[in-house]
Amino acid sequence: VIVERFHKEKSLPVLDKTKFLVPQELTMSQFVTIIRYESILKFWTKRNRMQINPNQAFYLIVNNKSMASMSKTLAEVYRENKDEDGFLYVTYASQEMFGYF
Amino acid sequence: MDNTPIVYGFDTGTCSSYESIDFPYTEEPVWLLGRQYSVIHQLDELRDDFRSKIWITYRRGFSAIGGTGPTSDYGWGCMLRCGQMVVAQALILKHLGRDWRWTPRSQDDERELSESELLYFRLLNLFLDKKNSPYSIHQIAQMGASEGKPVGQWFGPNTIAQALKKLSMYDHWNNLAVHVALDNVVIINEIKQLCKAEKRNGQHILSPKGNWKSLLLFIPLRLGLTEINPLYFKSLKAIFKFQQSLGIIGGRPNHALYFIGVVENQLLYLDPHTTQPIVDYEEFTSNPLFDDSSYHQETAARMDISQLDPSIALCFYCHTESDFDNWCSLAYNALIDNEKQPLFEISKERPKNWQQATSFSDNTQSLNSLDYDLIPGASNVITLNHHSKEPFTILEDRIVVGNDSDEEFELLG
Repeated sequence: VIVERFHKEKSLPVLDKTKFLVPQELTMSQFVTIIRYESILKFWTKRNRMQINPNQAFYLIVNNKSMASMSKTLAEVYRENKDEDGFLYVTYASQEMFGYF
Repeated sequence: MDNTPIVYGFDTGTCSSYESIDFPYTEEPVWLLGRQYSVIHQLDELRDDFRSKIWITYRRGFSAIGGTGPTSDYGWGCMLRCGQMVVAQALILKHLGRDWRWTPRSQDDERELSESELLYFRLLNLFLDKKNSPYSIHQIAQMGASEGKPVGQWFGPNTIAQALKKLSMYDHWNNLAVHVALDNVVIINEIKQLCKAEKRNGQHILSPKGNWKSLLLFIPLRLGLTEINPLYFKSLKAIFKFQQSLGIIGGRPNHALYFIGVVENQLLYLDPHTTQPIVDYEEFTSNPLFDDSSYHQETAARMDISQLDPSIALCFYCHTESDFDNWCSLAYNALIDNEKQPLFEISKERPKNWQQATSFSDNTQSLNSLDYDLIPGASNVITLNHHSKEPFTILEDRIVVGNDSDEEFELLG
């Protein structure tokens, strides 16, 4: 599974790993937890223990299209969404902010 | 910022609402926050319902936020204003009911205010642009600042929902339980506990009588990266049929809107992008004929659902526990069952092995007890879910596919 940060993402940190080998039976909710906390950990250490916010919105978007269904296993998501090259591409992002100048 | 001119919307979406017809002439029903109307047969009732919604816009000339901050929210407050509109509508449902209608008053109106009008004004007062109103722009912006978002910064749907959740704890009149469902999952038990919690001697306990606080539920979502996935349109439109629906906060890119209805493929919305002068608070409290028309929008604006920015929050209000139970089964049947890509999921309990993000959310001191350990001397080995029986580990450099270093994988398991 290839996990990348959305290129316009500003509030979530960059993961220092992008390629993951994942057990088939892992559910998306477990996977989100791992990615979410891995990314937070990185944030935490990089910014010298600055306060993290667990209420931050965090989404895994599969194939640039839809949100990951939390109850599905990685095997199911892989089967339905894998790329021609054999990888499953997942992008993480928070939410957009709204305003205008 | 003080002398910002009045701006009537930035694009044609708003202008089109000034055309002769505010709703398309169609056989298709209009759904407005759980109510169905026919444009052909019920146009007056539909308009009456639409303008009864509280419309909150940019304002200029309020007291500086935090003493030295901005005196207008032009350009940055649109999502905050959408959040105010959602809470205002929730409180109208709570105190006045879905059938309540706004009656504009004229200056020669000599009758006394009715009980429901007094309630309505008390409710409107919560949103006035002054620092001691519980849901004022001042309170929201400063709550955002305490969460790391400086005053004047833009909000997203989740940001405003989180700020409102915190502010609701200081609103003792309304006793509202605000829940923000993260990670696309609504967990029934967590909501029931929240709505039945009571404060006794400074401790939160489960209400012995089973008292239910009115629930304001936000479900922040991201339905795509740069564009919304059309797969979700059908479910999004169905949201407005729910009797518990408080609509959707979201917008076009950069442009926050409060969506309260749907007809065909068009969303009906209230647009905060009009900068109005503040109202006179003296007059508001002293004059029973106070002109509150700047808090109501006469004409509906609409836009095609495909223009929707993928970042949104669904909003619902459940007055009683049975309302909520009903919502759960409605949501399951209409949005989840038989749906390949549901908008969100519903779970009775938090799944095991799933990090409870909220367990330390309200208390920064408990940061030290985060559920993972960094193993000393092995910075690349992380144990997750310390309290669960099957800890996850992320191991680096364990599995190598091929000999190329580019082909290294993280092993999860």
